[in-house]
Amino acid sequence: MRLRNLLFVAGLVACLVSFGFALSSASAGPSFMDRAAVSVNQPAPHPQAADNSLCLSCHSQAGMKVGLDSGETLQLTIDSEAFGASVHGTNEVACTSCHTDITGFPHPDRKVQSLREVTLTFSASCTQCHSDQSALAMDSVHQKALAAGNQNAAVCADCHNPHTQKPMTDPATGKLLPEARLEIPNTCAKCHNAIYGVYAQSVHGAALTQEGNLDVPTCVDCHGVHNIQSPTTASFRNSVPSLCAKCHTDETLMRKYGLSTQVLSTYVSDFHGTTVEIFSKEFPDQPTNKPVCTDCHGTHDIMRIDDPAKGLAVRENLLKKCQACHPDATANFPDAWMSHYIPSPEKYPVVYYINLFYKFMIPGVLGSMGLLVVMDFTRMMINRFRKPKPVVKHEEPSAPVPPAPVEEAAPAETPKAEEETPPVEEVPPPAEAEAVEAEPTVGLEEPEQVEVESAEGESPAPEGSNDEDKEAHND
Amino acid sequence: MSGTQAKSTPLARQERTFLRFTLGQRWEHALLFLSILVLLLTGLPQKYREFSISQDLLATPDQVFLIQNIHHAAAILLSLVVIYHLGRILVLMSRRSLPGDLLPTMQDLRDAWHMIQYLLFLRKDKPRFGRYNFEQKVTYWVVFFSVAIMGISGLIIWFPIQATSFLPGGVVPAAKLAHSTESVVLAIFILIWHIYHVHIERLNLSMFTGRLSEEEMRTYHEKEYERLAGQSGERK
Repeated sequence: MRLRNLLFVAGLVACLVSFGFALSSASAGPSFMDRAAVSVNQPAPHPQAADNSLCLSCHSQAGMKVGLDSGETLQLTIDSEAFGASVHGTNEVACTSCHTDITGFPHPDRKVQSLREVTLTFSASCTQCHSDQSALAMDSVHQKALAAGNQNAAVCADCHNPHTQKPMTDPATGKLLPEARLEIPNTCAKCHNAIYGVYAQSVHGAALTQEGNLDVPTCVDCHGVHNIQSPTTASFRNSVPSLCAKCHTDETLMRKYGLSTQVLSTYVSDFHGTTVEIFSKEFPDQPTNKPVCTDCHGTHDIMRIDDPAKGLAVRENLLKKCQACHPDATANFPDAWMSHYIPSPEKYPVVYYINLFYKFMIPGVLGSMGLLVVMDFTRMMINRFRKPKPVVKHEEPSAPVPPAPVEEAAPAETPKAEEETPPVEEVPPPAEAEAVEAEPTVGLEEPEQVEVESAEGESPAPEGSNDEDKEAHND
Repeated sequence: MSGTQAKSTPLARQERTFLRFTLGQRWEHALLFLSILVLLLTGLPQKYREFSISQDLLATPDQVFLIQNIHHAAAILLSLVVIYHLGRILVLMSRRSLPGDLLPTMQDLRDAWHMIQYLLFLRKDKPRFGRYNFEQKVTYWVVFFSVAIMGISGLIIWFPIQATSFLPGGVVPAAKLAHSTESVVLAIFILIWHIYHVHIERLNLSMFTGRLSEEEMRTYHEKEYERLAGQSGERK
């Protein structure tokens, strides 16, 4: 009986526990991690959403503020319309999701002392929904600066005002929305306003800020979004060519503006680019003194190449860039760099024709030399296998003409060997060295050779015969 | 090459060897060989950067610098060899004693044609060669012009700023292309042509020993052998 009671209680507990688990996982929906992943665009509706109206009943009144110990004033008024239109408002995120210390009225005493502290403290609360972005931001140059003690380094809320932030990406594609692209430079400019000034004058920045062009890069396209890296490291520098190439090798995008997509390949194939390319792939942290795109074209101040003041199509401007590393460079020097052109009869014809020359010369000359060697080897092997009679050990070599006839032939031949007597006489210029090698024609000296053969005596067979069998027992 | 000390019994006639290359010429060849080997070993990795061995060799700017310095040192050695070679030619010319055996002649074309016929089994006999056969002349002249191209283009890309102070800038990429491609041409040429003729077709070490045996002379340089034999015969 006692045992049955015990089992009953245990079973009841087990049932309750498992029911509880099932309930909790069912009702809580996605776990914390899952929710974070989806959160950017659609945070799960918050159970306490209804409370927002309660908060706003006070906080939408104008003029609410509180003085801080630092002497600053913390504005407590929330524009309820702006909040309603924000990404948090539309997703009905509860005020208390972030303002976790507020549970009722009166509110607990404020612990923060300055406006900056308010921002820094609340940024921690972003992580509960936006853990991915938060993790990326932890690797950023901003976070490093903050950890090093720079209180002004940007945290979440510096770029994304939680009460007004509009959606930044298209939930379907995950791509930046047009209005976000246009807004980003202004956001960065809040701190980096000098760079913004330069960027807004550049070919990219002017197109974005003045024409609303969405093809040009905005800050985050080069610097990244949350894990923004220091642009002064060796690895960032080494990665610049591939960074620029993201757009500048895009056929459809470049065709729109009549720009070449060969800029990367031509860069990589030349002195500077070869080294940088290898380093960026193999040794990304290895500093190199070779220029990357930005060293010549500029960083935030990139101009059209025909810009009179900075454009690199203007020779003087290019020369100045060359002289940054090659101080003694003279006016001819910039042409040593082919300016991303592919050699053609019009551009860099010398290079083009040298390339063409080797294209024919290598297979033509080296190929026929190789062919001769192969033929020579084949014939040598055939000779060797056709007559396996070893005369004497040392008489091996491949042309086994018996010595005797040669000696006999010698006197007979000497008068005919006029060509050799004064060697200095025949002085055709050395230039035709290559010509010597190959096929030319010259069937004309056949008669002379006929005599040689007959002089060798051994084969009385008719000369003209081409068959090798005779040749085989020739020796 | 074994000709020199090969036979003991058949007496002095068999022991006879022929001087092919003077000590100076052999040194020239040795230094040429050494410098070209070093140049290729340090140059090709710079051309073919994508290979892992090249990347190991050129891993840091310091190593790139080192490899380039070795390349330049070997280039200077090769230049000295070339200067000596050309200087010696000039001296011999001024003394009217430059042997013209290496100059290409019509006979070389005929020999080459003859050789092709022989290799195609259209003829039974090999051509009879003089002091240098056409293959050896081709070797000399290909190396001669390759080294000239490599030297000039190498200087341009070594000193681009000085070069462009009196030449148009376009010569630099042209020289780079020529230097880079010609090196491969020369490497392939040495591998297939020179190595074949001196190591595979027959082992010919006369460029190191300086001498060929009588047997080899008779077989491979028959006309020269006859000329020398004739001379000595006349004198006797």
